[in-house]
Amino acid sequence: MSGIAAEIGPGHNSGPDPGPDSGAGFDVERVREDFPILARQIYGKPLVYLDSGASAQKPRAVIDRLRQVYEEEYSNVHRGAHFLSGLATDAFEQARSTVAAFINAGSDEEIVFTRNATEAINLVAHSHAGAFLKEGDEIVISAMEHHANIVPWQLLRDRLGLVLKVAPITDRGEFLLEDFEGLLGPRTRLVAMTHCSNVLGTVTPAKEIIRLAHDRGIPVLLDGAQAVVHGKVDVRDLDVDFYAFTGHKLYGPSGIGVLYGKAELLDAMPPYQGGGEMIETVSFEKATFKAAPHRFEAGTPPIAQAIGLGAAMDYVSGLGIENIARHEAELLGYANERLAEIEGLRVLGQAPGKAAIVSFVIDGIHSYDVATILDRAGVAVRVGHHCAEPLMARFGVEATLRASFGLYNTRADVDTMVKALNKAKSVFG
Amino acid sequence: MALERYQEFAETLEAIDDEEMRFEYILDLAKRHRDDPFPEEWMTETNLMHGCMSKVWIVDRPQDGRHYFRGHSDAAIVKGLVSMMTEAFSGLTGEELQGLTLDHIRRLNLGALTMQRQVGMMAMLKHLQKLGRPDALAAAGSRPESPVRA
Repeated sequence: MSGIAAEIGPGHNSGPDPGPDSGAGFDVERVREDFPILARQIYGKPLVYLDSGASAQKPRAVIDRLRQVYEEEYSNVHRGAHFLSGLATDAFEQARSTVAAFINAGSDEEIVFTRNATEAINLVAHSHAGAFLKEGDEIVISAMEHHANIVPWQLLRDRLGLVLKVAPITDRGEFLLEDFEGLLGPRTRLVAMTHCSNVLGTVTPAKEIIRLAHDRGIPVLLDGAQAVVHGKVDVRDLDVDFYAFTGHKLYGPSGIGVLYGKAELLDAMPPYQGGGEMIETVSFEKATFKAAPHRFEAGTPPIAQAIGLGAAMDYVSGLGIENIARHEAELLGYANERLAEIEGLRVLGQAPGKAAIVSFVIDGIHSYDVATILDRAGVAVRVGHHCAEPLMARFGVEATLRASFGLYNTRADVDTMVKALNKAKSVFG
Repeated sequence: MALERYQEFAETLEAIDDEEMRFEYILDLAKRHRDDPFPEEWMTETNLMHGCMSKVWIVDRPQDGRHYFRGHSDAAIVKGLVSMMTEAFSGLTGEELQGLTLDHIRRLNLGALTMQRQVGMMAMLKHLQKLGRPDALAAAGSRPESPVRA
């Protein structure tokens, strides 16, 4: 098993029969056929998609499921006595069960559907931290957070007078567990930490982080937007209190995210937004609210998107997340080897067991210019600060290029990128 | 409207029917300015155009009621684009600048650029228009770090 999968933890494998490609073999060429968009050309060249960390492409299983929902099963959910409403509700709630099984939650009631990981974190900031924390209380994050796991806490800090503490990392992007432990004090009320850095690929030692926090009675939220894609996540094995992730990076539709929360924590939390779907009774004097998770799902939810996410998880489970992790780890090794051949290229983040996310800069050439040459070669990467400006400042750069690998990438993709990088060097160097 | 330089750019780019060549032309524009570098003291926060993926500085050196721009970027391709924009739209009055529209960008025939870049070009144009407003002109005169035309 790869370091990534091992780090994220053993766990549950749900979904349909894995089929002949799981187990020892992972036939990437066959897998690629499941993704229609990979057949298209960009500027007359085959698409090399290395931006799955921003958003992954969708397999036919997801696309077909979405079409089926809209063509055959669509209606609003949790209301109405008609046939289609029942069908849509069943499919929607089945998706919740699929999500629960995918991350090995204790029950479906621990799965809250949100728009994305950002909203999931904001939900915790509002209804957990916002409800229970007081002036002077402390929240610990890390130096490699996405803005989505910084700004909600800053807003809350400013509103309630909280203190935000930042756990440091090494120059190689390794999480410093002892330094983190030193930040946990009598006023620490929450740890909100990435499970995998979207820039460095560093997988944080989540089990140890959670153990250290729990020893002091502190709950932990993990931002799993990247981690859940690259390896097995088992929320019960981790003993994590809240786990946030999004569907669109997991080969599912955009507009659907997930907040896992331990039942006792969710049950104690006040609503996030008010509206339909989340109430039991309403009069002009007062309203009473449903139990979790529906209490946190005001308004018509993203119905087809949730069902599509279920299809994506079935697809990933069918391939086997361990097989995907192994394939990606092999690709990461190859990418690191090839990138090391390019003079003046510096990779940010070399933590052991990291996920297949490679951020880099080339001396003397603006990353934006490099990305343009890559784009002209059909290679899609991300360029910029990756919604992690404090981390950019930590490494003394304003922007990096980021190649983030998915289950459909190949060694040939790496070769095409390296060739285009060499061209960029000749054009701008 | 004195848009001769703009017309030259538009005609040149129209004559280049190969996307790669058009791209190289923009890069050449960036390189050409190596002989006439953008002074480091102009790379100030005030002159920075916000909202770009790379850093873009644009200065206005007004003279006799007309605006003369100079631009720079830390990224080569953007440097080429900002050089073209500042050259193309220099020498206009504030009123003439306000009359420029998205069509002026479209007519540059920058087919090699993505829509995102064209949005960036439009943002540059809006920035030039902002600099060309009478209040900006007055402020420029009183702003010590803003360069004035020699």
